[in-house]
Amino acid sequence: MTITAEMMEGVTTELCREAAEHAASEGPDWLRARRLEAWDLYEATPMPTTKLETWRYTDLERKLDLDRLELADREAVPFDTVDYPEAVRTAMNEDRRGTGHVVEIDGAVVHVDLDPELAALGVVLMSLRRAVDTHGELLERHLATKAVPASDGKFQALNAALWSDGVFLYVPRGVRLEHPVRVTRWASAPGTAYFTRTLVLADRESQVSFVDEILSPNFESQTLHSSAVEMFALDGAQVQYVSLQRMGRGVFHLSQQRTLAHRDSTLDTLNVNLGASVARLDLNAQLLGPGANSDMMGLYFGDDDQHFDHSTSQDHIAPHAKSDLLYKGALDGASHAVFRGIIKVHPGAQRTDAYQTNRNLLLSGDAQAHSLPNLEIEADDVRCSHGATVGQLDEESLFYLMSRGLGLERAERLVVQGFLGEVLSRLPLGGVVEKVSRAIEEKLGHA
Amino acid sequence: MTDSPILKISGLRAKVAEEDLEILKGVDLELRAGEIHAIMGPNASGKSTLAKIVAGHPGYEVTGGSIRYRDRDLLELEPDERSRAGVFMAFQYPVEIPGVSIANFLRTALQARLDEGEELDLFDFQDRLLERMDLLDMEPAFAERPVNEGFSGGEKKRNEILQMAVLEPMLALMDETDSGLDIDALQVVASGVNKLKSERPEMAVLLITHYQRLLNFIRPDVVHVMVDGQIARTGGPEVALELEAGGYATYREAEAAV
Repeated sequence: MTITAEMMEGVTTELCREAAEHAASEGPDWLRARRLEAWDLYEATPMPTTKLETWRYTDLERKLDLDRLELADREAVPFDTVDYPEAVRTAMNEDRRGTGHVVEIDGAVVHVDLDPELAALGVVLMSLRRAVDTHGELLERHLATKAVPASDGKFQALNAALWSDGVFLYVPRGVRLEHPVRVTRWASAPGTAYFTRTLVLADRESQVSFVDEILSPNFESQTLHSSAVEMFALDGAQVQYVSLQRMGRGVFHLSQQRTLAHRDSTLDTLNVNLGASVARLDLNAQLLGPGANSDMMGLYFGDDDQHFDHSTSQDHIAPHAKSDLLYKGALDGASHAVFRGIIKVHPGAQRTDAYQTNRNLLLSGDAQAHSLPNLEIEADDVRCSHGATVGQLDEESLFYLMSRGLGLERAERLVVQGFLGEVLSRLPLGGVVEKVSRAIEEKLGHA
Repeated sequence: MTDSPILKISGLRAKVAEEDLEILKGVDLELRAGEIHAIMGPNASGKSTLAKIVAGHPGYEVTGGSIRYRDRDLLELEPDERSRAGVFMAFQYPVEIPGVSIANFLRTALQARLDEGEELDLFDFQDRLLERMDLLDMEPAFAERPVNEGFSGGEKKRNEILQMAVLEPMLALMDETDSGLDIDALQVVASGVNKLKSERPEMAVLLITHYQRLLNFIRPDVVHVMVDGQIARTGGPEVALELEAGGYATYREAEAAV
């Protein structure tokens, strides 16, 4: 069956049931069942409202218009690299030291390359859609099951039903990748809904870093970009995930991530939000084995009427694990940031170390930040702390900088760079830190 | 031209911005290239305010009088323009700039002195910074620390002197640089100022201080005593010694008697 444009109008109406059925029309039985089940969950779950604590500051009724969105047209994708948008080629050329590279355009993977030596060692880097055929068993066990299942919420369900493609990365036991695997994503069509997924499986004692850059032009009419990221670090594995979101205005970006860190593994994340009109992050880090460690870093820098909503949770299920969260954001114009974080120490998770810090710097009188850190501790021998600040660029600091010859703009820029730089200084990934710094500088230059 | 003052303050009156509190009540002061002047005075006499107004602090409003700097109207210039024109103030309370290294800060300050499109040569800068630090007996690692973050009082003041060494001002205002320093730290800071002064004798220095002890290490040509927003006396170094012996009480009495 082929599906035509007019059949796909709207994501919420019955036509979309057909879209889900269409999506389920290919692939193995388990996947079809999972998609349709996800769709049923999506329909059965009411749209979150501001009455819910987790959506209190993001009014979907005002900020998201699902009915006007169309699904991505998978056929219109350029296959030759010369046909790639300029921004994609620039991003690809910035750092050639990657061990592998995936390009996803308009919801479909169009390019994959992987160091042949790593491929020979059993590393798998490929389109998620293709992986359904080649690595069915691994996907059946891990895709939308323990990490970002449809049952997590309405948008998780929508993504699980309608995902068009994404990235699958598997690193076998003991294999260590010296340089990051890089993903460049691009969304080009206004008024479109994109659903993409990422599944990272790091087997025992393996090591990998993954840099996910998401780009688009500015849009006149709203475009939805929904990304589900599922990451597994098995015993002793080391995984670092970096998301650099630089989409254009007019984008509603949803990123739903869960990390599962097993015994003695390290699973670090850095989420950078610079672009989009609305960016919502749901990140849940699970510490599943003793000795597991998750550093959770976040950076955001808003201007105009950008709205960033970060919802994080640190789930300490096993004893003797550590998580450390630091989210910092600078807000200019009339931008608005929300941070809502919770540390949950489950019964029996003794000797937990869990920290959570959110700091906001307001650069304008119209900018706003809401910071809501929280603790829920059901074990008695733990070390936990949380802290939140919302500060302003004070007159005395600005005068100090200006008294050394820096103009107002240059002074503000330097303060923001320093403020955000603290997060990057925690990230021991050479090329990536420079890439993120450059992106921040570029935005500062325009601000 | 050498005879025209580098700084000429005439009848300067100023108040705290957005308040009615008048702090300077007609200040006159002339400073020539190469001279070292000290302004002494009791707390709340207005001496720090004077330095801040010359540097362009936004917390004060000038209500009368004028400040000429190298034959320009200084009050017309923004704080950053004053800096680029050669005015420097060492802060009494230097501000922390988290995440910004001293090296990065100074590089940015020097870059700001170049024309649009001109790029600072980073190797030249690095050499220059190391040479300046060497002159002041500072460890190169110091420049990698974030500006004033977690610094001791002495480190903060030394950082001010380092900035002065790199930016090479024509007019240096030292706002209570001696406050909060023990005698060793004071000597280090004073020796830094003296080195810079001997390197560039044409630099004018205005020392703001409450205590005479700084003047044992940096010898002023002229000493002014400021009381209640006005210069109450101007003289040679002997004025400072008199103050050391008699305190500010005589000036206060004189005020009260008027």
